[in-house]
Amino acid sequence: MSSITIPAIVPAAGKSRRMGRPKPLLPFDGQPLIGRVVTALRLGGASPVLVVTPPAQAAEGPPIAEAARQAGAAVITPAHWPAEMRESAEIAIEQLGRDGPPSGFILAPGDIPGITPEIVRWLLERSAKAPGSIVIPRAAGRRTHPIVLPWDLARQIPTLPRHQGINALMTAHPERVIEIEVAHPELADELNTPEDLERWRRRLRSVLTIRLFAVARERAGRAEIEINLPLPTTVAELRLVLALQHPELAALAPSVSIAVDSEYATDATLILPGAQVALIPPVSGG
Amino acid sequence: MIEITEAPIDHAALTERVRSNRAGAICTFLGTVRELTGDRQTLALDYEAYPEMALKKLAELEQEARKRWPIIEAAIVHRVGHLDLGEISVVVAVSCPHRNEAFEACRWLIDTLKQVAPIWKRETWADGSHEWVHPGLRGP
Repeated sequence: MSSITIPAIVPAAGKSRRMGRPKPLLPFDGQPLIGRVVTALRLGGASPVLVVTPPAQAAEGPPIAEAARQAGAAVITPAHWPAEMRESAEIAIEQLGRDGPPSGFILAPGDIPGITPEIVRWLLERSAKAPGSIVIPRAAGRRTHPIVLPWDLARQIPTLPRHQGINALMTAHPERVIEIEVAHPELADELNTPEDLERWRRRLRSVLTIRLFAVARERAGRAEIEINLPLPTTVAELRLVLALQHPELAALAPSVSIAVDSEYATDATLILPGAQVALIPPVSGG
Repeated sequence: MIEITEAPIDHAALTERVRSNRAGAICTFLGTVRELTGDRQTLALDYEAYPEMALKKLAELEQEARKRWPIIEAAIVHRVGHLDLGEISVVVAVSCPHRNEAFEACRWLIDTLKQVAPIWKRETWADGSHEWVHPGLRGP
């Protein structure tokens, strides 16, 4: 485990115009997207996680703040809508400076569903080995988020010309940029439109069909059930999700034999997309 | 030869099928629907299988048995669906050069089939109630 800890700044005050509803509140895997991002940052080693929300008078302001807090973030609610992501970042940087300047921070927009604790940890570890560098992940052939910024460069953000974004720092200091290749192309897949959302939903919530026999079929009242869960997964994980999504099978779920591709599986057996899965209650042929 | 079938099983044809001039012994086991279990009376049994997996498991059993005994021919056929009293639910027929091997292989095949094949039976008791037979499964 890594003990590298730096703060995270999560601008979550975008207007979500193309999506038509606030992106940070879109449900992903049963939690609002902002919660998913905050959780990934915290599990990856970022602390504290500062979320900049829309102002309190905006309809989505309070629910975004609440979702962020529930996931363990500290919330900054500005008095006015920040004009750009850059302005949200500046507000949080100012607060970090007041609390005692860190060596740097990780900047993660609140609308990147592809962020995972592992990716965060890689970035923080790389950054710790190269203090003062800008660490940028590269996925699907291009630079993406989240990035690690050293504090001396972060302090320059408010002095950038008004029309420039944070990217201007990378352009101005190419010698300080370190790219790390991540084998997660979806990290670069943006979430802007309802079509993007649909694609993300399909990616995250695979549907697994499970065949049922004998008492399991009788309890469910049908020969097949569907379970929503991200794949690949393990049989152990499937047991938990099965009990939650199909309470009528909850009594069987912990101990019933499970077949994956016509083989008796162990709890560690991996379930890949397209696998044939069946519940096998104690057999009584002959 | 492996089969899961809804049709009545012709055990004589299966015994005939495994006969061979190289065999000195044929053992054929029939499982049949029994009326009394202790003092409870059965009216009928309904069998259900997970067909793809059951065929795979039965084929694996035959392969394993062929490693252990000098089997010349083997036939394993299980019936599914509704069976009345006295009907045949399963047949295991094995031919070997000598009787000890034939007895052992046949017994191992039916014993192991009952442990691993994904096949289930449901009792219809004399009072009309139904009950899936799941050895070791605790109540809901």
